[in-house]
Formats: sequence, structure tokens, C-alpha cells
Amino acid sequence: MASNPGSREADVSVTINGTQVTYRVPARLLLSDFIRDVVGLTGTHVGCEHGYCGACTVIVDGDAIRSCSTLAVQVDGSAIRTVEDLADDGELTPMQQAFHENHAMQCGFCTAGFLMTLESVDPDDYREPEQVVELLSGNLCRCTGYQNIVKAVCSAWGVEGHKGT
Amino acid sequence: MTVDIPTRINPMIRHRAGHIGRAVPRREDRSSLMGRQRYIADLKLPGMLEVAFVRSPEAHARILGIDTEPARALSGVLAVFTGADLVDVESFPQKIPYIQPVGQRPLAEDRVRYVGSPYAAVVATDRYVAEDAATLVAAHTEFDPLPTVANLDQALTGDGARLYDDWPDNYLVNFPDDKPDVMKAFDEADHTFSDTYVSQRQTGLPLECRGVLAEEVDGRLTVWSSTQSPHIVRTTIAEMIGIPEPRVRVIAPAMGGGFGTKTHIYPEDVVVPWIARKLGRPVRWLEDRFENLVSAVHARDQRHDVNVAYDDDGTIRAIRCKAYCDVGSGEIFMPGTATVFVTGGVLTGAYDFQNMEVHHFCVVTNKTPSGAYRGFGTPEGMFVMERIIDRVARLTGTDRVAIRRRMMLREDQMPYHMHSGGRIDSGSHAKSFERAVELIGPSVERARAGYADDPDVRVGVGYTNYVEPTTPTYHLTTGHWGGYDSATLRVDPDGAVRVGLGTTALGQGTETTAAQLASDALGVDPDDVTVVMGDTDRAPYGLGAWGSRSAIVMSGSILMAADRVMTKARAIAAHMLEASPDDILLTDGRFHVAGSNTPTVTWSQVATAAWVRTVDLPRGLEPGLEMTGYFEPPGLEHLPGSDGKVNAAASWSNGAHAGVVSVRVSTGEIKIEDYVVVHDCGTMINPMIIDGQVHGGVAQGIAGAMYEHFQYDPETARPRFASFMEYLYPTCSEVPAMTVEHFETPSPDQPLGVKGCGEGGTIGPAAVVAGAVSDALGDLGVEIVATPVTPSSIRQAIREWSGSEGGS
Repeated sequence: MASNPGSREADVSVTINGTQVTYRVPARLLLSDFIRDVVGLTGTHVGCEHGYCGACTVIVDGDAIRSCSTLAVQVDGSAIRTVEDLADDGELTPMQQAFHENHAMQCGFCTAGFLMTLESVDPDDYREPEQVVELLSGNLCRCTGYQNIVKAVCSAWGVEGHKGT
Repeated sequence: MTVDIPTRINPMIRHRAGHIGRAVPRREDRSSLMGRQRYIADLKLPGMLEVAFVRSPEAHARILGIDTEPARALSGVLAVFTGADLVDVESFPQKIPYIQPVGQRPLAEDRVRYVGSPYAAVVATDRYVAEDAATLVAAHTEFDPLPTVANLDQALTGDGARLYDDWPDNYLVNFPDDKPDVMKAFDEADHTFSDTYVSQRQTGLPLECRGVLAEEVDGRLTVWSSTQSPHIVRTTIAEMIGIPEPRVRVIAPAMGGGFGTKTHIYPEDVVVPWIARKLGRPVRWLEDRFENLVSAVHARDQRHDVNVAYDDDGTIRAIRCKAYCDVGSGEIFMPGTATVFVTGGVLTGAYDFQNMEVHHFCVVTNKTPSGAYRGFGTPEGMFVMERIIDRVARLTGTDRVAIRRRMMLREDQMPYHMHSGGRIDSGSHAKSFERAVELIGPSVERARAGYADDPDVRVGVGYTNYVEPTTPTYHLTTGHWGGYDSATLRVDPDGAVRVGLGTTALGQGTETTAAQLASDALGVDPDDVTVVMGDTDRAPYGLGAWGSRSAIVMSGSILMAADRVMTKARAIAAHMLEASPDDILLTDGRFHVAGSNTPTVTWSQVATAAWVRTVDLPRGLEPGLEMTGYFEPPGLEHLPGSDGKVNAAASWSNGAHAGVVSVRVSTGEIKIEDYVVVHDCGTMINPMIIDGQVHGGVAQGIAGAMYEHFQYDPETARPRFASFMEYLYPTCSEVPAMTVEHFETPSPDQPLGVKGCGEGGTIGPAAVVAGAVSDALGDLGVEIVATPVTPSSIRQAIREWSGSEGGS
């Protein structure tokens, strides 16, 4: 049997949603696959595997990153937050609640990525609708036309002046 | 006119408050918000293996040999299958009589006809290894390249390359048309012009790619597939693999969008279950985005060679249109042949125009097969019609709004029979246009004022008035299925209701709207309603979710089943209340005798008698409280009449879009300053969800109008895209904030007056953006005839005009 290029392994220790875990994984394993398949948190979705669509966005040491274009070994020692951490007591966060009330999701596939992008920033830095639009432009959504997502964020953060019905 | 919903459902039910028509928040949201929704990629089975498909890097080639040994030798690889291994699998069915035989095999055998065509499958312990092995198979495949056909012009060259050796040419479908009245109008009209309009190749691109998981246990195959049509997948798998249909169960898990691309039955839907049977192990395939871009169906790739006869006063006398659809290799089930007929059939939109002659052609090329995408031919048609109207307005010096007003369908023309046989049952066509003109007016003024000091920026406005055929027949698309769908309603002993639906959900909120319908139809609280769909074992047979059909078919089938449940429930309640069934009313969830509010019996008491305490049933009444309705929409036709005309849709929503753009002449940069939609889908079940459908549709329409384009190298027919970096999927910054208003003109024919709303948003933007840009740059000679409208296409048009007309 020929050995395959995935045979090299490494230990990855991270804190994920507050829990410390260590796994021995292939060195080439993507962080998105580590989170989904090894840890078993499937709320983080993979939409393009090219680092473009943002569906796989998670927070690593406070920064929103694309887990599909990051290797698991790169985040060894880090603290990771995923969508499952937002309402871990079963109570929706104000942003999640705003998404629900404003119909800011249809198929729901992109939702986790948007929520984690939003979770990673300070709302005080986004006081105009245009700033919200720019922030959200790193995440793709195919269902909503973005209108209700912008509306939900403006509502949750008290940003005024968003047009559109 | 609005519909009195409770009375129309059942005069024997009295509600505190109905749920239909209200913006009920979605029950689907919570799981997605918390990351607990289960999509195909989230499902795993013990002992599961992963499949990777090997896809052709060649656009057109013979396969001379495949050496699978290097791949098999890789640690973790369990098997490699090629087309030759699947001899026991039938070819994809082809049931439409008038199209050329494609003979699509589950895996390409001796010849590949597009980059992305699957010709082998690798099975390994994990996806990484499977993909390593797939690369090895590809590296050890010997191809003999054949001349390629990259576009319509190449396909239609008489002595050019052909995709199918036993065809006389590259026409998959060739439907000429010849109307004496059109010929006559061309002889008589004051003027004529000819032009060619082009809609580019794009596709639906759900954010979730496709995927299939299959396992066989005790001779029974279970297949999870990210599909919009699980029952049709089941029928096709059973037929192709050769197993009785009851031994196949297909489940569509939560879906990350579909937009038509997931209505098709793909090779992977058949090959993955076949592998699961062959190996006796659960196997899964997850599509990656590159695979999705080259192997999930494309759409919209059409060209229209148009002749128009018109008079000095701006009257359009006749239109002759040669409508060509580049359907790629044609290797897809259902075939991508129906869309161009929809384009030709509804090209006249919300206008009263009959004198049309449309020649329909589907042409094969060495590109990804094309098929369904939201709008299904209508955006291409409206683009052509509005360009024609604007051109005639310009040539005759007629106002663009006035010329449209003269042509709009009027209420007194309903039902209106279109040139193609489409029977528009009702609508607010003229009213919607007037409202759109009124709404956009101030935005035009504001934009003009805003750029008054910038001579480099021009402002223009565009309009479109469309009809949206909904709930279409599937017979003209598949040659097999028809148009019905089904619902099973069961009331359990605790009074809770279970709804099983033949349609399915792909993000459009069907669980919520189905619960609204069922709760009003049975007089129960929506919280007591559970909706089950997308599982062939747990829901009745149905055709799935496409063609904006779920609203009508689920309304019809739920109401039919509910009516049957109510009849039986009233008989049981009457027996308990010692009264006649005819005298039993249901008020706020309790059965009682008319004229007397007590005593009452509850749904739970009635259902307990039906299922458990059957001693309480009237003598001779069959136990159980579960009924199914199979609903065929009235008026829907499945085959053309002797005149060639057919009403292929059960109802016709309508809408008017208007948009203002600013264009920077020096760079060609376009900005949509404002966009308004006046929309009418009849009775609204859930206005919040309908607004969401419109928003998303408009965004996809703008994507087609200005951004997305699958480009192929004309020399090699190889794709010039491999990711979202080359295929411009709009972000939040590209989609403008839009205004959406509604009229509600109920369908006179369909249950509750519902019409359907899934596709309307996509229909307008190409026509609106092209009209607005042409308006803005009219004095620079720019006449937009192709999408996408991009800065470079605008600059090129300005340069060409400057060269030819002596402009500065």
C-alpha cells in the first residue's frame, strides 16, 4: 500500500466553546473539518472551501476567521468560538432574536457565519447602515437578498436610517 | 377584492383568529440560529465511507483507457468504479418524444462531453484520501481530445464538430414556427428592425452544495439527498438500479437552498446508492464548490434573433423570434429543454400582445448541461420584450411609460389567453405598473438632482411588467410526471395534528406556512401542528418544491384532506353529542351543536374515539382519523392542444419592477440608486415570507443583470471559472435596499386565491437594469442587448458608438 500524503499527524489542543480538547489529527486537516467532524460541532457550515463565502466563519482568539482555509494545526493552543456557543443556555442572543424577528434567514446555511462575523466586532464601530453593509459584505447569502439581514443588524444595534421594506 | 378565508375553507369552522395572511414567525429558525439544523453534510453513519468523483478535465474527448491501479494502491482506498462497472444500471430515462436521444449513462463510459463530467468514482475511508485517489485516477486516464463546440455559433456551423455522432446536427430540439399573420404584419407595418439579445450562462448556486448518503440494510435502500424532489429521486433510482420502489426510501434533510438546481436527478444520486449496495457499507459523497460550479446544472444561456414590425405611432405589429438555448452537453435528467419554451411562451409578459412567432431551438455544446434555475426562462423573455419596447419607443419618439400603458393587460381582459396558450386567470397588471411608476418617480428626481453637478454621471430609469407562471406541469419538462401534489392529515388522540406533505422544503419556510394552512383548515392552534416532508416513507407521493408550486399544491391538498378529516370528525362528535352531523360546528377548537355552545367535545376526545376508545364511535364507522388529499390544480394542462397551445401553469402571479441607475461615463460604473417592486401573488399566506422571496429573487436577478457569468474559452470550451473569485456572486454591497409593495388579486381558480411567489423577483432586474442603463446613456448611442451589463460592456458600447457615429 502506498502511503498517502495525509499520513502525517499532529496533536491539536484547543479550547472550543469553553471546553478544553486535544485530538491527534492529520496535519493537513482543515479547521472546518476539525470542528465539524472531529469535535462534532456541525453548526459551522462549509459553503465554498475557498475562503470566500464566509459560511465557515468562527472566532479564534477574538478574531473572525475562515475555518475552511485554516489548518487545524495553525490554531493549536487557541480559544475557538462557534455558533453553538451563542445561545448555550438555550436563550437566543439579541442578535439571534433580531434575525428571527426580521426574517433574516431562509435556508439558514449562511446564518452561523453571519452571526459569528457580527459577534466578533464592537457594535459601537458600526453606527451607519453603510458601515453595517460593508461589514456584512464578507459573508454570502443566496436566499435573502441581504435586505432583512441588514434590517436585523440595524435593529439589534440600534442603527437608524436603513432603507428598504 | 379579498377572500373570506375561514368561509372558503369550511363554513362549519369558526375561529377566534385565522393564521393565513399573517406574518407568522418561522418555526424553522431556532435550529439554524443555534447551529442545530441537520444538512446532508452533517449526517454520518457508523462505518461510513466517502466517495469522490473523478471528473473530466477535457471538454470533449474519447476515453481511451483508465488505469485505476495507482489509486487502488493508496492506503485507505477501498474501491474505484468506472462506467464499465455500472453495466447493470439503466441509462437515465428520456421520455420526451421530440428530443434527440442523449443516452446518458450514470458515469461517462467512452466519451466525455464537458469539463466536469463524472467518469469514475473512488471510495475511501475519508474524503481527503478519496480526493487524493481521484486525482490519481485522473492522472492515469488517457484521453483522445475531440474538436470542441464552445458556443452557439460553433454548434450551428454546418461542418463543425458534433457532440453526438448519430445526430444529423447539434440540435437537441428544433421547433420552427410559421405564422401567416406575422408575415402579413411585416408586409404592412411602417417599419421593421432586427436585433439579437443575449442572456448569459449563470446558475442558482445555493450556498450548500449537493450531497448524497446511502446505505442498504436487509435489502432496503435508504438515500439521503440534498434534492428538491425526493419522490422523483426514489422513482428514478428504483427504475435505473432495478429494485422495487418500496425498497427505496429517499430523505431530503434540511437544505441549504436549491433554486431549481436541485430538482434534477444527477449521476451521483444513482451512483452513490449503487456503491452502497455493491460494498454493503454506508457511503457518502459531498460535492465541493468547484464540482458544483462545473457539474450542477447551468441556466439562462440563450440568444434571441428578433425581427420586429412597428408603426410610426409606436404600435408593435408583430415579433418574430428565433430563441436559441445553449443547453450544454444535454447530459442531465430532467433535460434542460423546457426553459426556452417558457421563454417563448411568456415573453410578452403582462402586455396584451398576440402576433408572435417563436422558433424554439435547444443546441448542445461542450459545456455543463443546463437546466432549471429560478425564473425558468422568464427573465430571459422579459429582457427581450422590454428591450424591444424601449427600442420601438426610441425609434418612434414615444414615451416609454406611455407605450407600456397602451400595451398593459387590463382587468376586463381576464382571463387572458396568451399567444402561447397561457391562461392568465387574473392580476393587477396595469395597477401594479402605475404604482411602480409612482414609487420610482421621486427617486429618479433625487438621483438627477444628486448628480446634477457631475457631468460624468448619467441617470436612467428602467421598467418591466411580467407575469410569473406558477405551479407548472412537469409533463412538458419530463415527459412523465404531471402536476399534482398531496397532503396527509392525521389527528392524534391528544388532539395534535400531523401534516405529511409531498412537497419539500429548501429554505422557503414551508413548515411554517403549511402549519398556518392546516391550523386554519382544522381550527387548531399552529403549535399543535407538526409538519413532515422530504421523506418518502413518512410523506405521501409528491413532485417536490419547484416552479413556485408549493403554495398552490399544498393549499389544495391540505384543504382537501382537512375537509375529509372534518367530515369524519363531525360524524364522531355528532354521535357523542347525540345530534346530526349536519348540525355540528367547530368553534375555537371545540365541536358543538349549532345554536348551543354547550356541551362541547374536543379534538382530543374525537381523535381518542377514532384511534383508541373505538367503542365511542358510531356503529359501522371505520376507526382512525387520517385522510389524504391528492390535489391536481384546476385548469393546468399537460399537453398542447391541436393548435400547439398549452396553459402549462396553474396560475399567474404578476409584478412590476422599476429601477433607477446612475452610470459613470468615464468608467462604466453602474450603481442602482433605487429599486421598487410591486408584486401580486394573489392571497398571501405569510407576507413576511413572501417579502423574503421577493428580496432574494431580486438579488439573484441583479446577479444575472450585472455580475454572474459562466465564461468558457472559445478555443477549448474549457471553463474560465473555478471558484467564486471568477464567478461574481453578489454581496450585501451589490444588492440595493429595495421597496416592496403588494396587491392581492386572488386567483379565481386556485384554493384560497393563492398563486405562488417563488420566482417573480428574479424576472425583473435584467430588463430593468438594461432599460435604465440604455436610458441613461441613450445620447451616447448605448443600446444594451446583452447581460450581464458590466462597466466593460458599457465602455465598449460607448467606444463603438464614438467610432461609428463620430462622437467625441
